[in-house]
Amino acid sequence: MELTDAGLVARVLVDDDQHAFGELVRRHQSSVRGLLRQLTRGDFALADDLAQNAFVRAYKNIRSFRGEAKFSTWLYRITYNCFREDARRRKELVGINEEQWQAEHDPQTVDPGLRHDLMHALSLLPLHERSAVLLCCKNGLSHDEASRVLEIPLGTVKTNVLRGREKLKKTLAAWAQ
Amino acid sequence: MNEQPEHDWLDRKLQEAVPYIEDDGFTARVLQQLPTPQRGGQFLRPLILVGMSALASALTYVLSDGGRFILVEMFKLTTIPTLWVVAFALASGMLVMAGGIFAAMSKTSQIQS
Repeated sequence: MELTDAGLVARVLVDDDQHAFGELVRRHQSSVRGLLRQLTRGDFALADDLAQNAFVRAYKNIRSFRGEAKFSTWLYRITYNCFREDARRRKELVGINEEQWQAEHDPQTVDPGLRHDLMHALSLLPLHERSAVLLCCKNGLSHDEASRVLEIPLGTVKTNVLRGREKLKKTLAAWAQ
Repeated sequence: MNEQPEHDWLDRKLQEAVPYIEDDGFTARVLQQLPTPQRGGQFLRPLILVGMSALASALTYVLSDGGRFILVEMFKLTTIPTLWVVAFALASGMLVMAGGIFAAMSKTSQIQS
């Protein structure tokens, strides 16, 4: 039987089991790397470096995970903090690597034109709206969970998601018809 | 009125636009960066606990004049009326049983939630 995230965390805590932590990394690497790729506006190398830092930090601080929230919510919080610290250090974010974006995407599921417009529209959103939209609409977090990850009030998250969605809808109006 | 379907459309497209990212050695790279487990500390912990307990016991024995207080207390116990002993045993049993029931109930509600 497959262990839950909480079960794997327990193994890491009790036995310092790095294989169990490896399983947690395997389960969540896609969503963490995907989130960072979009937060960094398509800088894949930077996103992967930040994702590695986030997982290593999660391992070192796993005793602070109390199981009150989902493991993924706790991990997104660490991930977002890693991104924010790096962005603060760099004071600037790099541009979108469009070719890499398109190489990774499956042309069967989403129209490449729509994908391009969607990613472009996302990259134009201010960081606070982009983060809220990505966490709530793409990664499926509740507003409450996103407020814990981003460390901002619940009302602010709702406003940011609403505003971000409105802007995306406006930009993608032609595709929605 | 048609706000929800528009949200659903946007959410779906956002999820589809970034498909599953293959691991491609990412997990292995993370595991290489993890600090090595400190096994030494785990072996030391029980040794320290046992050592401290032995030291505390020895100190107590010496400071209490060879454990004389134990003999005194044992003597006192023999003078307690039998009815008191029975009442004390019953009360202890009830207390332990209540604790067990409470723990079982809270565990059950935790599992159900």
